[in-house]
Amino acid sequence: MDTRTQEFLEYVQSGGQVETTDWMPDEYRARLIKFIEMHGNSELMGVLPERDWILRAPTLQRKLALTAKIQDEVGHAQLIYRVVEDLGKPRSACLDDLVSGKAKFHNVFHYPTRTWGDVGVIAWLVDAAAIVSQKALLKCSYAPYARIMKKICWEESFHILHGRDVILALVTGTDEQFELVQEALDRWWEPLMHFHGNPIPADEDPMYVWRIKSQGNEAARQEFLDGYVPQIRELGLTIPDPALRKDEETGVWRFTEPDWEKLRAVVTGHGPASEERLAFRRLSREDVAWVEQVVLAEAA
Amino acid sequence: MSERTDLLLSIADDELVLGWRNSEWTGIAPFLEEDVAFSSIAQNEIGHARALYELAAAELGTTADELAFDRSPAEYRCAPLVQLRKLEWARTIARHWLYETADEIRLAALRASDDPEIAGIAAKMDREEAYHRMHAEMWVERLLSSDEGRARLNEAVDELWPYALGVLDDGLRPELRSRVERRLGRALPDVEPVSRDVHEAELAELLEEMTMVRRSAPAGARW
Repeated sequence: MDTRTQEFLEYVQSGGQVETTDWMPDEYRARLIKFIEMHGNSELMGVLPERDWILRAPTLQRKLALTAKIQDEVGHAQLIYRVVEDLGKPRSACLDDLVSGKAKFHNVFHYPTRTWGDVGVIAWLVDAAAIVSQKALLKCSYAPYARIMKKICWEESFHILHGRDVILALVTGTDEQFELVQEALDRWWEPLMHFHGNPIPADEDPMYVWRIKSQGNEAARQEFLDGYVPQIRELGLTIPDPALRKDEETGVWRFTEPDWEKLRAVVTGHGPASEERLAFRRLSREDVAWVEQVVLAEAA
Repeated sequence: MSERTDLLLSIADDELVLGWRNSEWTGIAPFLEEDVAFSSIAQNEIGHARALYELAAAELGTTADELAFDRSPAEYRCAPLVQLRKLEWARTIARHWLYETADEIRLAALRASDDPEIAGIAAKMDREEAYHRMHAEMWVERLLSSDEGRARLNEAVDELWPYALGVLDDGLRPELRSRVERRLGRALPDVEPVSRDVHEAELAELLEEMTMVRRSAPAGARW
């Protein structure tokens, strides 16, 4: 590592932040682009599992709330891709890499949504897991990203309230409505345990080393479990892991080791809905390609 | 059902079904900005539908949700223009623009109503619809500025023209014709309007999907 890079590393590790126009090592820029681009892809791909349920929402209020939530997610994608653009990769290149399968998106968006119970579990628990990760970006060494995370975290915390409200209505409803939530939780628990990634020690995680994020994977998962396991149990729901318990002495949650090979397979495009989702996006992009041409012609 | 509730339900159903159709673009519009715009427009339309259903529900002794979700397909009063499944951009823009133009004419008439509740809600809706009109107009401008865009828009308008006329009562149709012809710079054919009594097959499919979750629990269940 050259002296300039070493100094940069020490600067970010002591809490320093950099702006778009500041010098930065090539490796740092490349890692930032990859990480932030994946975040943008995830916000965008995250729209697809939920969008069908706007059309099926069972009351006007739920329809309005879900439309607003999904609109927020698209807005986040828009903001995040701008940050990537400033780092040197245009939005169109991000979208090309997304639909070709070259770029990744988050594991939870590779799964199908089968029932209205999924809508509640996603908005409550997937967004709760996401907010733990996103809060760890508020102190990101790349200042423009840290700034937009403030807005994003604020909106995500609203989504959690919406999700919890959907869940509360269901668990206090008919037996069948309760079962919708339990069955969805059974399916979503594994992806939720995968969500924060494998327990690589923070000091070996390049994202932590460069202080792109301020927390290691396992610390994030522990924070999620601490915050949400008691709430899930309070509603009378059963978490499908008999080994899950908090060690009273150490305060650390114990659980069945998630299958990390499966996580790797899912995020490399082999999840249950990966191909269907990408195909849907490819198709919709082809259908509207002429619109882009018309708009570019107008701008020229 | 009174003439008043019939009027309220016609407009509410238009707004609900168009809002539903606009939501179909969420996640797959040609640009992220349009995703956000169409989601936002859909929320306004559904919000308008809710306010109108509430007025009708007060008179009919029911609730806005029951009116929106629990009627049989034959009872919906929406114009066939909003029932059509048009998940194609030029047709989406043509429908959006034709509907907003017709809606402006309709709202202007309603604002002059003797019924203070109807005049009030029309004025409130019009404040939001003004932004929808700006959005639609921006896209019409864009499409008209290139050969391909103009051809696609004109084709879509021709296809939808009898449906657009069907949004309005007889007396208001000449105004719609004059505005659309002026903007496009050409005459539109004399055609029979597709009236509200027509139910397109796509409406039944839409309602099937719209109510699938709600129907899965007994009436009166909380969601």
